[in-house]
Amino acid sequence: MDCQTARGVLLDDQRGRLDPATAAALQAHLEGCVGCTRMEMAERLLTEQLERQLPQHGASLALKRRLAAQWPAPAGTHSPAARVPARRAWWGLAAAVAAAALIVTALSFMAPGRGEGDRMVGEAVNDHLRILARADRLEVPSGNMHQVRPWLTGQLDFAPAIPFAGDADFPLRGGTVEYFLDRRAAVAVYGHGLHVITLIVARADGLPWPASGPVVKRAQGFNVRLWRSGELGYALVSDLDAGELAQLAARLGG
Amino acid sequence: MPDRADDDPAGWLGPAALAYADTLYNFARYLSGNATDADDLVQETYARALRAAGQFERGSNLKAWLFRILRNTWISLARRRRGNPTVGGLDTVVPDVEPEPTWFCDDIELDRLRKLVAAEIEQAVMALSEDARTVILLDLEGFTETDVASVLGCPVGTVKSRLSRARQALRRLLRDYAP
Repeated sequence: MDCQTARGVLLDDQRGRLDPATAAALQAHLEGCVGCTRMEMAERLLTEQLERQLPQHGASLALKRRLAAQWPAPAGTHSPAARVPARRAWWGLAAAVAAAALIVTALSFMAPGRGEGDRMVGEAVNDHLRILARADRLEVPSGNMHQVRPWLTGQLDFAPAIPFAGDADFPLRGGTVEYFLDRRAAVAVYGHGLHVITLIVARADGLPWPASGPVVKRAQGFNVRLWRSGELGYALVSDLDAGELAQLAARLGG
Repeated sequence: MPDRADDDPAGWLGPAALAYADTLYNFARYLSGNATDADDLVQETYARALRAAGQFERGSNLKAWLFRILRNTWISLARRRRGNPTVGGLDTVVPDVEPEPTWFCDDIELDRLRKLVAAEIEQAVMALSEDARTVILLDLEGFTETDVASVLGCPVGTVKSRLSRARQALRRLLRDYAP
């Protein structure tokens, strides 16, 4: 591989988009080329600085309320709805009741100890921030779950079940161990484009993990998805929007 | 058999689309450069998305679809304001960067990159041409080159070269922020 070709695929390599043969050829080139190695470092630093430091602006609550008021369309905007107003009204009512039930379920997660539930969300975000601060210095910086999971199991007094080993959309970046409130927890780190997603797996006993189905909360600009599976509690944290986080959660069974 | 909500696209699309409000607003803020225009841009984007909800193919990339609407809305607004449909565009305004210097990357540049602070990076991003800024932001959002091509309405190869040139431009701007 020559320098021009190498520099043309540096970003693809950093995004994990190269096929194994091209990635290997690039690595071989980098080992013998100081100029391209510096270029690779510059591209990596630029990405890291953009990810970490470029200010992110969120929509104001007022704007979100205005947007929510726009949806759904006023009755009569869509002709199929206009043709069956009574039936649609009943389905609308049923949907509203279902939504209310969902909200009640979600709130019941917090009900027994609202402070405790909020503390869990806050701790999950804190763990995620600690992971971001570590950057690439994870204790097991490997995309191979067969390396990450045995190491985690050796550090903990339980076997962390992590049912997703990563794929092209959500590659595994590595693992480490963090404290989650009063207990040690396994942490698996996934990527999605330039975003980092932290999965925390801890013993569930003694904490109010959601009893039925996942709960999604937003704190400090991050989305946090909590769920329980058997004796383990799971927290998934990222600045990804809730929809994309749900895609990874589906792969993890949460 | 589709459920009953399926015949009302606006109904099922709404909650999913609203989940992208923050990320769309961030994009709008960097396109427009101020909070007021970003507010208007996002609101108009959702209004257009609502009107076009019936055209959205369920199962396709909703986020890319919304970003495409937002960018097209921005282009319409910008054209209206400038009264000149050709203003802007990486290909027409770029001579801020020559490709040659990017082949050279010394320790001083790497050191400067490491010491940058948020304000410097934001200032440099805002100093980029509009199309360069757009492609940088879309890449940062985690879109693939195919997604970006869909948002911008151009071939994937064009996205690749635009992104490369945009990053070169950004690095060159950042080099000027001496610690």
